[in-house]
Amino acid sequence: MTVAQAKAKNLPAGANLPFIYREYSAERLKLALHKMYLIRQFEEGAEESYMRGLIHGTMHLSIGQEASAMGICMPLTNDDQITSTHRGHGHCIAKGAEVSKMFAEFFGKTTGYCRGRGGSMHIADVTTGNLGANGIVGGGIPIAVGAALTAKRLKSDRVVISFFGDGANNEGAFHEALNMASLWKLPVIFVCENNGYGMSTSMARSTAVANVADRAAAYSMPGVIVDGNVLSEVAEASHEAVRRARLGEGPTLIESKTYRYRGHSKSDRNRYRTKEEIEDWMTNRDPIVRYENELMEFGIIDQAGIEAIREAVRKEIADGIEFAKASPSPEIRNLERYVYTETV
Amino acid sequence: MPVEVILPKVDMDMATGRISRWYVDEGAAVKKGDLLFEIETDKAAMEIDAPASGTIRDITGKEGIDIAVGEAVAWIYAEGEAGKPAKDVVAEAKPVQNLAPAAPASVATASAFSPALAPVKAVAPSMPLNGTRATPLARRLAAEAGLALETIAGSGPKGRVMRKDVESAMTAPKREVKAALWPDQIISRPPASSQPRPAPQRSAGAAPLNFAWLRQGEGRPIVLIHGFGADLNSWRPMLAAGPVDAPLLALDLPAHGGSPRHTPADLDAIAADVEATLASLDLGPILLVGHSFGGAVAATVAARGHADVRALALIAPAGLGPEINGAFLQGFVRAKSEASLMPWLRQLVAAEQVLSKPFVNATLAQAADSELRTAQGEISDRFFADGTQTFDIRGLLAALRIPVRVIVGANDRIIPASQSQGLPGEVALHVFPATGHMPQVERREQVLKILLEMARA
Amino acid sequence: MDQAVRELSYAQAIQEAMAIALESDERVFLMGEDIGVYGGAFQVTGDLVERFGADRVIDTPISELGGAGVAVGAAVTGLRPIFEFQFSDFATLAMEQIVNQAAKMRYMLGGAVSVPVVMRFPAGSGTGAAAQHSQSLEAWLGHVPGLKVIQPATPYDVKGMLLAAVADPDPVMIFEHKLLYKTKGPVPEGYYTVPIGKAEIRREGRDLTIVATSIMVHKALEAAKTLEAEGIDVEVVDLRTIRPMDKETVIESVKKTSRLLCVYEGVKTLGVGAEVSAMIAESEAFDFLDAPIVRLGGAETPIPYNPELEKATVPQVPDILAAVRSLATGSR
Repeated sequence: MTVAQAKAKNLPAGANLPFIYREYSAERLKLALHKMYLIRQFEEGAEESYMRGLIHGTMHLSIGQEASAMGICMPLTNDDQITSTHRGHGHCIAKGAEVSKMFAEFFGKTTGYCRGRGGSMHIADVTTGNLGANGIVGGGIPIAVGAALTAKRLKSDRVVISFFGDGANNEGAFHEALNMASLWKLPVIFVCENNGYGMSTSMARSTAVANVADRAAAYSMPGVIVDGNVLSEVAEASHEAVRRARLGEGPTLIESKTYRYRGHSKSDRNRYRTKEEIEDWMTNRDPIVRYENELMEFGIIDQAGIEAIREAVRKEIADGIEFAKASPSPEIRNLERYVYTETV
Repeated sequence: MPVEVILPKVDMDMATGRISRWYVDEGAAVKKGDLLFEIETDKAAMEIDAPASGTIRDITGKEGIDIAVGEAVAWIYAEGEAGKPAKDVVAEAKPVQNLAPAAPASVATASAFSPALAPVKAVAPSMPLNGTRATPLARRLAAEAGLALETIAGSGPKGRVMRKDVESAMTAPKREVKAALWPDQIISRPPASSQPRPAPQRSAGAAPLNFAWLRQGEGRPIVLIHGFGADLNSWRPMLAAGPVDAPLLALDLPAHGGSPRHTPADLDAIAADVEATLASLDLGPILLVGHSFGGAVAATVAARGHADVRALALIAPAGLGPEINGAFLQGFVRAKSEASLMPWLRQLVAAEQVLSKPFVNATLAQAADSELRTAQGEISDRFFADGTQTFDIRGLLAALRIPVRVIVGANDRIIPASQSQGLPGEVALHVFPATGHMPQVERREQVLKILLEMARA
Repeated sequence: MDQAVRELSYAQAIQEAMAIALESDERVFLMGEDIGVYGGAFQVTGDLVERFGADRVIDTPISELGGAGVAVGAAVTGLRPIFEFQFSDFATLAMEQIVNQAAKMRYMLGGAVSVPVVMRFPAGSGTGAAAQHSQSLEAWLGHVPGLKVIQPATPYDVKGMLLAAVADPDPVMIFEHKLLYKTKGPVPEGYYTVPIGKAEIRREGRDLTIVATSIMVHKALEAAKTLEAEGIDVEVVDLRTIRPMDKETVIESVKKTSRLLCVYEGVKTLGVGAEVSAMIAESEAFDFLDAPIVRLGGAETPIPYNPELEKATVPQVPDILAAVRSLATGSR
């Protein structure tokens, strides 16, 4: 039965629709679209601000990877935790952070999530369960395993997601962490966002296996490959992994195959991939366009509804940037604050 | 509205950039994503694409000059669109004004980097260094004591001056006097004032006293007479308080420091010794300064008129009233150890922190000389019998026709400050609050300033 | 309440501290290689696994980097791990997690989290374990803001400082000299803490200050006893913590004695003694120095295997005696 047919017949849940349309309400699905826009426009706003010199340092944009971040986070609660990567703005938003405080962080302001001490590469929002982006490839993976050990020892129902990129699968920390997580059956999910390149070096040139998920067998855990640009596929894999984890069945390795439109960082000259390749992903496989089309096809939203979401997000982004600009910078005299825990 | 083309930040810590090459010309049609220009950074050349489609105009970003990040370098106009917007759309960065070369860009560069490149004001070292090898402790002790480091023989490796060397230099005044301190110190002085003066009336047994030039310089010499129980080294801390340009001579009273150990009969006898010493040096007109008992001696010398005293400074002087701290005098003369000496030394000053280690050590070294302290005990018995000042200089002061200043501490526990009341009107009185019997130590900067002013007057 | 005082070895004192921590705080657990039934490479954990179970005395795979990261992650999310490295040399395998993560996480997140992890490092030479199992790397970690680095020298201190470390909200690195494990000293029963960041004057003296760390404290005290007979009165300061350093105690001591000798086992150049010397040279104590500052540290070599060579690599009592004599008599 086609989707249109299902819709026409007003079928109950359980019909042969992609996973998320069976699992989530229309409101949740629209919220997911809202957040994917928020991620993209946040990245564009950050890029614009960076190019104008309002943002210091460098940053790594996740434009093109929105469905991956959003899909993984859909089954999570605020109590669940994630560790993130240098390309972590999307994870932070998908997990529930406010863009105004993220912009403020990027602008180095005291109202930022890290009070101006972390910036893009260490963006975090502990209140919504994001333990932080990481500047070290693979740095967050053992930390996620430690967080899962806490969850298990305290018998909380919490699961922990560790996001990392394809580059991290060749770090020792990845292997040590996966081994211990499986050994101790910890409630942790390893999510490799494979965007094809570790900086300039492609998977083919860096990794002995064809898929990162193939590594799962070595650690006796399920390895799942999904199209990271299809929200429902990502969310479905995440759901299953979260279910397993909560039941105490141990970790899962999900490989979400996706693509970043921008360079590795703002210093990337794009010498290692062709314009045609980038163009192809942008035109034919954009995760937001694909999701919009599905939502319209299934009658969950119309063009006007989409436009309304885009407009609301535009305003949220503009307000966020204004908030960041107007916020105070840290005072030099407070330079040494937060190195150690202040005793009250 | 036309779309702004800015010079983007393409690298960490980039405040400005240079366009090395434009790939499009003014008025060209461009498509979003077309290559517009190339930026050079320290590390690489970066290609910049068109942010929108349209016609590129107002290319203001010239090749090869520094342009601030975020500045507009061109505008892309949609079809039929005209006129550049008056105001920038998002950022604070202003579009470059014209094709004016370099100037605006260099201003931007300067402002971006000025904090780091601000010239650092050269700071002169606070203490002049010299070639003498000495430990930091020895340097500090010598400076506090007013001793010239190069005059002290070092016992450490390669002649390094150490603490013990400074301390022994301080307690051996004779060694450093004249020959040691300034071997070439015989300075020709202008002949004494042509005014006829009475010839020195030497009393029987008048003996030259030990003395030392603590500073050399130009101008009227300042002659310093210490108080009871001290010696000429007691002036050194004051000299460390600032530069001294006047010649400065310090005497040891009889039975003090390196002077002969006899017990003078009265103030006149001591004055005669002072006069004999000064006469041998042919100083010309002087400023005479005395502390405590030395103040009474100085007043007597000034009143006798044999020495050419042109001004008189009396610091916490004796002889203005009967009372004196008899317990201090007795205890001080008797004390042989640091434990028994310190309580009395603390009485000398309002705040004990000013009692420097060298000062204490120098006093202790004298205490160890029992012959010296015995002689001083006799002086104490004679001049301060039963805790009373047996002499009076008020009459002498009233008769003086030279400038006189009296300097006292309000909290003097040896001679009460109240004794300095009721002096003749022409005598200037300086009373330092929170100060004890040693204003020249406790208020060294101010006292030194007063003395140097008097010497210059 | 009076606490009975017994003679315990340094290793027993550590074990007792960990047992108290495990008993009194459910969040506390131990992790490390062969710390379970084996009892730890130096028998420091002993039978703790029998008393507290394998859930709280966790044998890890040989994965120093991953293990350290797991400890950091557990600490950030509410547990109080004590992570044992089998040898301090293996810190090199885990530097990423120690230096980039544990030390910086609180700062990078603007104070949103604390990282209350304790890491224990059996360190030092003297056991014939040669170049990769004998190093003293405390200065490496002492260089990292965000970490606290301690070197207890006595059984009393190691128990009290370990308990202080467990209670501390920030990452504390404990360097335990392997030759100290069997040394004995008085240790009270029950819970007590010894503050991190506070040096201890082990012996008061007039003529010269020795600032020593870990096992060198004992060598300095031994030297001081010999020197006393020669009329040289040495003050021995046990630094105890190298970050944050107790500057005040060292400065006051040097102001009193005017002479400073630093004795430490780590490589001399750029080591703990270099920091103490520079700190004194920059402080008000400079003007009290009556002799050059002298350092005795490890030789500029890896630790050799041959026992005579090994001994010659690190300062010994005769080296301390010679250095003090030359300093005190003003011949250097």
